[in-house]
Amino acid sequence: MTNSITFTRRFLLAATLLAGSAMPVLAQDVIKIGAPLPLTGALSPEGQKLQQGYDLWSETVNAAGGIKVAGKAHKVEMVYADYQSNTPRAVQLVDKLVSQDKVNFLFSPFGSGATKAASATSEKYGIPTIAGTASSAEVFDQGYKYLFGLFTPNDTLTEPLADLVKQKLAGKVRIAILSRNDLFPLALSQDADKSARKRDMEVIYSEKYAIGTLDHSSSLAQIKALKPDWLFVTGYTNDMILVRKQMSELGLNLPVVSMIIGPSYREFIEALGPLSENVLSATWWHPAVRYTGEGPFASAQVYGDSFRKKFNVDPDYTNAVGSLAGTTLQLAIEKAGSIEPGKVRDALASLKVNTFFGPIAFGPTGQVNSYVPPVFQIQDRSPTVIYPEAIKTGDLKVNAR
Amino acid sequence: MLVTQVIANGLVLGGIYGCIAAGFSLVWGVLNIINILHGSLILLGAYIAFFAHQLFGIHPFMAIVPAAALLFVAGYLLQAVVINRVINATVLVTLTLTFGLNLMLDNAMIVAFRADFRKVTIEGARGSYEILGAALPADRVAGMALAVLIVVTLFLLLKYTRMGRAIVAVRMDRDAAALMGVNVVRTYALTFAIGAALAGAAGAILSMIFPISPTTSSVYLGKAFIVCVLGGLGSVPGVLVGGIALGLVESAGAVLLGPDHALTIAFLLLIVLLLVRPQGIMGRKGYQ
Repeated sequence: MTNSITFTRRFLLAATLLAGSAMPVLAQDVIKIGAPLPLTGALSPEGQKLQQGYDLWSETVNAAGGIKVAGKAHKVEMVYADYQSNTPRAVQLVDKLVSQDKVNFLFSPFGSGATKAASATSEKYGIPTIAGTASSAEVFDQGYKYLFGLFTPNDTLTEPLADLVKQKLAGKVRIAILSRNDLFPLALSQDADKSARKRDMEVIYSEKYAIGTLDHSSSLAQIKALKPDWLFVTGYTNDMILVRKQMSELGLNLPVVSMIIGPSYREFIEALGPLSENVLSATWWHPAVRYTGEGPFASAQVYGDSFRKKFNVDPDYTNAVGSLAGTTLQLAIEKAGSIEPGKVRDALASLKVNTFFGPIAFGPTGQVNSYVPPVFQIQDRSPTVIYPEAIKTGDLKVNAR
Repeated sequence: MLVTQVIANGLVLGGIYGCIAAGFSLVWGVLNIINILHGSLILLGAYIAFFAHQLFGIHPFMAIVPAAALLFVAGYLLQAVVINRVINATVLVTLTLTFGLNLMLDNAMIVAFRADFRKVTIEGARGSYEILGAALPADRVAGMALAVLIVVTLFLLLKYTRMGRAIVAVRMDRDAAALMGVNVVRTYALTFAIGAALAGAAGAILSMIFPISPTTSSVYLGKAFIVCVLGGLGSVPGVLVGGIALGLVESAGAVLLGPDHALTIAFLLLIVLLLVRPQGIMGRKGYQ
């Protein structure tokens, strides 16, 4: 009898202690953000970079106490889900993040294709969603109210590129376009085609290559025979490394070679060494930009330093846009003074802020239209910004044939 | 000259494809296992060559030996410990097993080596020769020559050594081979080990030509599959013929119909061949 009373007492004591220790966590206000990411599979390099950006932002915010909502600090909790580079799985995970994990906000999956597919689900639930890496206009023309994109449209990359090439090369410019058969690379190539024709250039070759192509030597042999002045290649890092390497194997030297996306990643320069020289590119952000702004990172420089401290490498635009997604959401929540989805959505729609990434304000479709993406060229094995004027550190160099 | 360039590209590519497929074909022919792991083993060989170059400055072509040796041991153990348990089960079971192992190895490589694309870059070694107006990149041609050499060695090994005859005997009739005193279990493990070693050697050659990432294993597996079916299952000369056929078709297809359709043509060829000559170009009927 006594034994059982002692046991009951001990049990109650233990239970009270346990409950007591759990209490503060429960009482504390937490903002949960769901982020489906391609952490494995073909897009895992990009997925991991995006995650680094999210992590740096959330850790920095939490170290400073959290996000202030109407005077009260809320900690940030990132809820990651790996969709294995498989878009249908990303859509399912968005559903799960909202209905089971009860996240307050969402960051979109990687790229235009997956963002577009997943946006229908987040819109259905009315969850404000920040799309870090979708630039194609087709993602934002669906009339959705809760989707906000941080990349400017694709033609903001191709227009300045075409201008720069036109200014530099005398006579009628002949351009060859080689494009990966994928949503974003194709959309970008179409814009390159438009930008070129607008400036009276002649498009002498325009072809697509299949995803996973290992050998480009036939297309490059054909391009070599056509002797263009400007070769415009779209795809992802792996494709760009292959194309550049195989160009050199075939002895293909052209005055201007531009590649998107790839040269902005250090892996491109590491893998190609001297072959990366003079490759032209454009992205939405570059560590060389000199913006200052609100949020946890006071300037691009501060951001670069924090990133290097944590990861020992320079941030690239995918890392940076991950942190920007967090910063933008944070500033909107603080402005709204609430974590209610509707109020945060309205705060995002009318947001006008300066950040380390550049000035951020969204157009009527929810896609950002407030900053100029930099154009850069690999010179002496490091990216040199050549546009816009305000931040440029060098001029466009042209190769001898 | 575009025509000679296209043919040259196709031949060079074809030799390399042959080497990619050799181990896959051998394992399929002898063990009746569609080894989904093959692409990942090629990548493992490529990583061995990459790190041998980065850490010790060893040229990737020299790294063929350690890459093949390490994978030989790994392949032997894998077969003896894991795959042998289901060796007599239906194709679906072994397929599922190697598929699972492939997922595990790919993701382990993502964790161990990062998913980034790496490449062996050798300074000053990228000259190219011009023959009949076609640029022939030195790296690739040397890679192809080595690849062909490896396949020829395999052919001679199977034809003239005791071990090779045992492998061929097991492939033709397992029970009869066992009755003749061939140790079937050991022969299976050896065959799988040789298949893995060939993958390792191919990986070391590829590390100079294509970027390496754990995410690309399926591309190599796909090529091996097509080459194998084109050339004829388990036939060593067949992988060279199949490889060169695929290389030429892809190369010409890319120019004639655009690079997007290079693979379409390859698969069309595959379907046609399966309809009119299901045993492959070099395969013999009833010899599967």
